[in-house]
Amino acid sequence: MNKALSRRGFVRAGVASGVAYKIGFIGSGAEAAIVDDPRAQLASWIAPDGKARFRTDAVAKVTGAKTFARDYRARDMPGWPAGQSHAFLIHATRADAVFTGIDLSLLGELKPDRLVLGDELLRDGLRPPTGGVVGAPGFYGEVFLVPPGETPRLLGQPLALLVYRDFARCDAARRRLRFAPEAVRWGAASGYNTPANYGAARFVRIAGPTPQAPDIYAPLSGTTIYADFKGDTVAWPSADQAGDASQRGMWAAGEIDRMIASAGSDSLVVKRSYFSQSADASAMEADNGNAWLDPASGALRMMMATQSPYEIAVAAASMIAASGPAVKSAVKSIDLSIGYTVGYGTKDHSIFPYLAIVAALYGEGRPVRLANDRYGQFQMALKRHSCATDVTLVVDRATQRFRLMKGTYRMDGGGRRNLSPEVSMVGASAAQGIYYLPNSDFTAEARASRAVDAGSTRGYGTLQTMAPTEMLVDEVAELLSVDPIELRRRNLMLTGMRNSQGAVPAGAIRTDELLQRAGAHPLWRERASRKRAYETAYPGRRYGVGFAIVQKDYGSGGEASTATLELLASGGLALRQGGSEIGTGLTTSHAVMVRDILGRAPDRMSFGVTEWPEMPLTSTEEPFTASQEQEDTWARDPRWTPMRQTAMSASNSVYFVGHATRTAARTLLSLSLWPAALSIWSAGPDGGSLRSLSVDIGEARFTTDGKLSAGGLEPLSLERLAAAARARGLVTAVSVHAFNRWEWAVAEFDVPGAGRLSLPADALSVRYGDGGYTFIERQKVVYPPLARLNAAVTYYSGKAALAEIAVDTATGKVEVLSHHSILECGHQVVPQLVSGQIQGGVAMGIGHALLESLPLYEGGPGDGTWNWNRYRLPHAADVAVWKQSAEVLPPLSDSDAPKGMAEVVMIPIVPAIANAIAHAIGKRFYATPITAEQILEALG
Amino acid sequence: MTLKSSPLSFTVNGKPVGPIDVPDDMMLLDVLHEYLGLTGSRMACGQGICHACAVILDGPGGPREIRSCITGAHFFANKSIRTVEGHAERDAQGNVVRLSPVQQAFIEHFSFQCGYCTPGFVTAATVLVERLKTAPVARRDLEAAIDKAMGQHICRCTGYVRYFEAVRDLVLATPGLVKG
Repeated sequence: MNKALSRRGFVRAGVASGVAYKIGFIGSGAEAAIVDDPRAQLASWIAPDGKARFRTDAVAKVTGAKTFARDYRARDMPGWPAGQSHAFLIHATRADAVFTGIDLSLLGELKPDRLVLGDELLRDGLRPPTGGVVGAPGFYGEVFLVPPGETPRLLGQPLALLVYRDFARCDAARRRLRFAPEAVRWGAASGYNTPANYGAARFVRIAGPTPQAPDIYAPLSGTTIYADFKGDTVAWPSADQAGDASQRGMWAAGEIDRMIASAGSDSLVVKRSYFSQSADASAMEADNGNAWLDPASGALRMMMATQSPYEIAVAAASMIAASGPAVKSAVKSIDLSIGYTVGYGTKDHSIFPYLAIVAALYGEGRPVRLANDRYGQFQMALKRHSCATDVTLVVDRATQRFRLMKGTYRMDGGGRRNLSPEVSMVGASAAQGIYYLPNSDFTAEARASRAVDAGSTRGYGTLQTMAPTEMLVDEVAELLSVDPIELRRRNLMLTGMRNSQGAVPAGAIRTDELLQRAGAHPLWRERASRKRAYETAYPGRRYGVGFAIVQKDYGSGGEASTATLELLASGGLALRQGGSEIGTGLTTSHAVMVRDILGRAPDRMSFGVTEWPEMPLTSTEEPFTASQEQEDTWARDPRWTPMRQTAMSASNSVYFVGHATRTAARTLLSLSLWPAALSIWSAGPDGGSLRSLSVDIGEARFTTDGKLSAGGLEPLSLERLAAAARARGLVTAVSVHAFNRWEWAVAEFDVPGAGRLSLPADALSVRYGDGGYTFIERQKVVYPPLARLNAAVTYYSGKAALAEIAVDTATGKVEVLSHHSILECGHQVVPQLVSGQIQGGVAMGIGHALLESLPLYEGGPGDGTWNWNRYRLPHAADVAVWKQSAEVLPPLSDSDAPKGMAEVVMIPIVPAIANAIAHAIGKRFYATPITAEQILEALG
Repeated sequence: MTLKSSPLSFTVNGKPVGPIDVPDDMMLLDVLHEYLGLTGSRMACGQGICHACAVILDGPGGPREIRSCITGAHFFANKSIRTVEGHAERDAQGNVVRLSPVQQAFIEHFSFQCGYCTPGFVTAATVLVERLKTAPVARRDLEAAIDKAMGQHICRCTGYVRYFEAVRDLVLATPGLVKG
């Protein structure tokens, strides 16, 4: 990433151009200027015992209320005009010739009121944002629309923007141009215009003599090795045992190659290649945005579907600031509203919202709505990376222990960089799965192509890397004639052992419990007898049971959020949170987390908050790229933080974003409720009822009716505590900001009236009585060092899957008969949400294993003909809807933290199905999806 | 103006609508969204595959599910439809007073996550429940009936289980819907 283009630079540019930004979450309580909060309609969402009866947003969603960004038109937005324009894009269906222009003769009188081509955008200085919160230069490519005279970089790249003053003509024109390649004029064949490959990284580790001994080399103690490409070849640093960290890493990689080459007859050396296909997340809400440049005020108002609103607002300001004088002088401020959305990662760092902004800039003073139809969504929504894998596993035949594993994972990022290097790196760092590897070498390659660009998608590269590992281990068990679960148990990474980056994972590792439960499950124990019985009963069908298990990181190494919790005079609670809802149930789970700590769920909640007057922080927004020296300098400013607000991704809502909520709740307990209670208990004659007792805050408990008690003291309602806190001028509200880089930033605060406080947070504000907030300048802060990023991951949740399938030998079709999941995710905040994630993740995994696939290039999604008629998504009948089961390990204790689990749940079912097919027909497949055609061919 | 249009009158959620001037080739879903402000029925594929756009057509043969993204608006002239906005009881201000049994079952079963597909499932499940009132199904055939009613609907978040179980439990708890 280019450190010169820092967020700090953006802010300066923004100020210089007079562009300010503001974000609000639609329908979110305090900031619900736009619509009434439909979630408040049924307060009975939570039962008296603190269990959620239904989601806080359930009523709105089940009654069809406007909740998604896509539901809003200009007439629904306060202060916007009633009428609005509509727009659509024409995309490139070729990437091998010069784009020369648009031919709209097909449209007859349905020609657009405004046609925008790429050369006009360039004249106006409008280019995709880059650097800072967006990421590396070229993150979204160099242009929004391919200018005439140039060859598109990628299939599906937008060529023209058509704006209509009314919906009907826009809709009719869009339909007329669908499947109409003649609307685009092409010049001479030019060859492809593919950008340079995006980068490579390598995690090499050689352990010491024992798992506990210092590593001989590991990324955490050395470095992650980065390299650029020369053409299609990675230009790795030279190897030198006495050189710098990268050179020593390359020396270690050479040692691993020597180990493979010298493996003797006591070793089993297995080399395999795998391929994981390009896939479309197929979020049902397609990308969309509605934006209006108010000519009177110069306010650029937006309603966007995004998982990363903070990025959109900040980067849009930078984009405007970098534009030409006409645009720059027209836009004075940016006001972003967001609705609920869903993207499975693909609405995090997508170019689409910026295109919607561009549309508004050519709206001639009217709001413009740019909303993909499904064909357009296939053409330009971020894809799951395809991945070509080469892997080698060396196993000691005597002990059946893994000696080393080497893997190369080549991910096709398509024609824009986006998050491809990051996705491929996370994938490579996860490839080891649940196993302890004394020697490992995992390489990530992010390659460029003319494919539709790929980005953050549920699993973030790890599906592509862990599925091969699990298919390989299953095959190795067969080669060694050992039970696959037993082989796994012999090779477990146990608590306290290091991962392939040399980092020790957080907390207890419980994958052995998952393995034991899977091994004891009837599907596994009885698989041989079931196979015999089934195949006797169903001649022509072959039965198989497959198993797989993974552990998956959650979080990104740069996680931050803010939460404010206020004790209202009524005794109610009000929560403000920076995190926003993407369908996972964040609004519900955060409310329950507050209830778990303070005995009462918030009465008022606001999510997606970005205006924080009570938490006046500044941020450089370089949590991954700053130097240690820079951070040490910046951290002296008590109002500085490495990162203001994380995007909603990486299964981060419950643990990381939730950490701010939980810390705010605990801090409100210790600074407000507890001292208020002590003041009541100790009041009165003879020192009150407290005098004869000894209690501390660790004994604080809430009764079932939400009253605070401790050690037999009188239960006190929050109403009484609120009154006491106000009467005595105690703290009545707290705001915390927390930051995590594979460990939490911790800081100490001198809180007037409360003394020295150490918190897993880097900023704290408090409010006394009914006054304003006081920002408590931290006295000391310890941020996790930047070298901690080399850990790549320390937070894991684990999941095992058993798949029971049947193969029809006449058709090759695979039927999933049943499946069983076993998950470890710490404390379940709302078990029904966890269960729903398991069921939904498994369905998506089944799609990846058996159904969903996109050609990468010509004939692929960029050609504008793809929809769900040919991209087959799983239906209920495909997922064994009535015959599936799941169990979740009970937490170790009631203080277990909740673990992110929305991604891990979709992964093990993929290799489990592949392994089940191997069990069924005795043939192994090395590419997904495993199709009927492949199976028929294998069966001969 | 280049688009031929005609007046359209029909009934939506029990209320007469129209006549409104609607292009002859426009699909019902677009009329709901752009002319009536009813955005609960969702556009997802536009091709009739996913059923997120499904609404109920009430007619002489009883209620039936119909995909509004591939059915022309003028097909509904003088007909009566129910969209997801019309299922719950509401007060004079439009606030939800009571959910329909299907809606209540879905929220209690945590049937959806993002909720984009929910209106289509509300539609399909409601049609099933109403049809079972006049033509109950044998208990052993209930799951198959649910499969048939909702099996083509696409949900990308929750993997169907909680929708299907909600409908099964609702049907079993409602007298007269199941025989034997």
